[in-house]
Amino acid sequence: MKTAQAGTLESMDCLVTLTEAAPGSGIKINITGASAARFNSAMTKKINETLAELSVKDMEVAVQDNGALDIVLGARVEAAYGRLMK
Amino acid sequence: MRRTMLYLPGNNPNMLTKGHLFGSDGIILDLEDAVAMVEKDAARILVSRYLKQGEFGNVEVTVRINGIDTEFWKKDLEAVVPMKRLDGIRAPKVDSAETVKILDEEISRLEDKYGVPQGKLKLFCLLETAKGILNAYEIATASPRIAAIIPGGEDLRADLRTERSMDGTELEWARRFVVFAGRAAGVDPLDTVFSRVTDDEGLRKETEFIKQLGFAGKSIIHPNQVRIIHDVFNPTEAEIAKAQKILAAAKEAAERGQGAVTVDGKMVDMPVVKRAEYVLVRAGLA
Repeated sequence: MKTAQAGTLESMDCLVTLTEAAPGSGIKINITGASAARFNSAMTKKINETLAELSVKDMEVAVQDNGALDIVLGARVEAAYGRLMK
Repeated sequence: MRRTMLYLPGNNPNMLTKGHLFGSDGIILDLEDAVAMVEKDAARILVSRYLKQGEFGNVEVTVRINGIDTEFWKKDLEAVVPMKRLDGIRAPKVDSAETVKILDEEISRLEDKYGVPQGKLKLFCLLETAKGILNAYEIATASPRIAAIIPGGEDLRADLRTERSMDGTELEWARRFVVFAGRAAGVDPLDTVFSRVTDDEGLRKETEFIKQLGFAGKSIIHPNQVRIIHDVFNPTEAEIAKAQKILAAAKEAAERGQGAVTVDGKMVDMPVVKRAEYVLVRAGLA
């Protein structure tokens, strides 16, 4: 399966890894790092929203977080998706 | 006022989030030199989302795009022009009116496409070659969008086949010329960066020098540089009091139908009044 990454592990950033998933398998999200426990549901929501905007239905998403704001998380998912599609 | 315009690396969420809080008059979200080639795509998306969100307080917000000799510049503009919180574009390596025309046309096309008011976005032109400096006036008058012209630092030194000196001798003529061209064209001459970020005394000295030449402000690369530059550019209490006295005397003279008047034994005519008005502008009182 093809994978692509975007982001960094710097402060207020996150490293997003997208891996192509088989049709019908849905979105699978795994968040680790600084804010994972506290903000898991908000981050999951943002990832789902961003993928929906990109019309993505099936994808494995791994996020290593170092305090990324919503706006950064969305940008990193979009950038990783752009790289995956190249 | 454009006393300080702070460069923020376009792929750095930390700086993009906090950069407007350091008190500079403007910020420059940088997609060019501060971003590695392999990160241009990610930085463009990040900067675009920050501009869309628009939480930058009252600072003037600009984006430095990549040069028109790269594959990136049109994508950069497409990503940022539609966003609500953008005041202008800082364009690198502008060396002729033709470069301005190319940029102007593309920005106009995108303003039309995205329903942005025509001419809303200003252009800040970096003159980073000997040719660019020599064409400074032609560039500054090439479009009503031009808000400022800025001499290059390292790129200009490279083009001149010279190196950085402690006192900046190699840039002295270019700086003087950019001030003349900018003032003649009615746009702001803004100075290049001071790269020795821990040398406060050197920064103060250079700022005093460029203020004396006539520059309206300086580009900066570190938040610690804001206070020193504002300190140099801000008028002192005595200068403000004197300016207010001059303007009051001039107003009174005008009401009495007199031309020139005398304040503290010195003649006050139009150039003196204009300088006094500019002092109050710099003090934020006009």
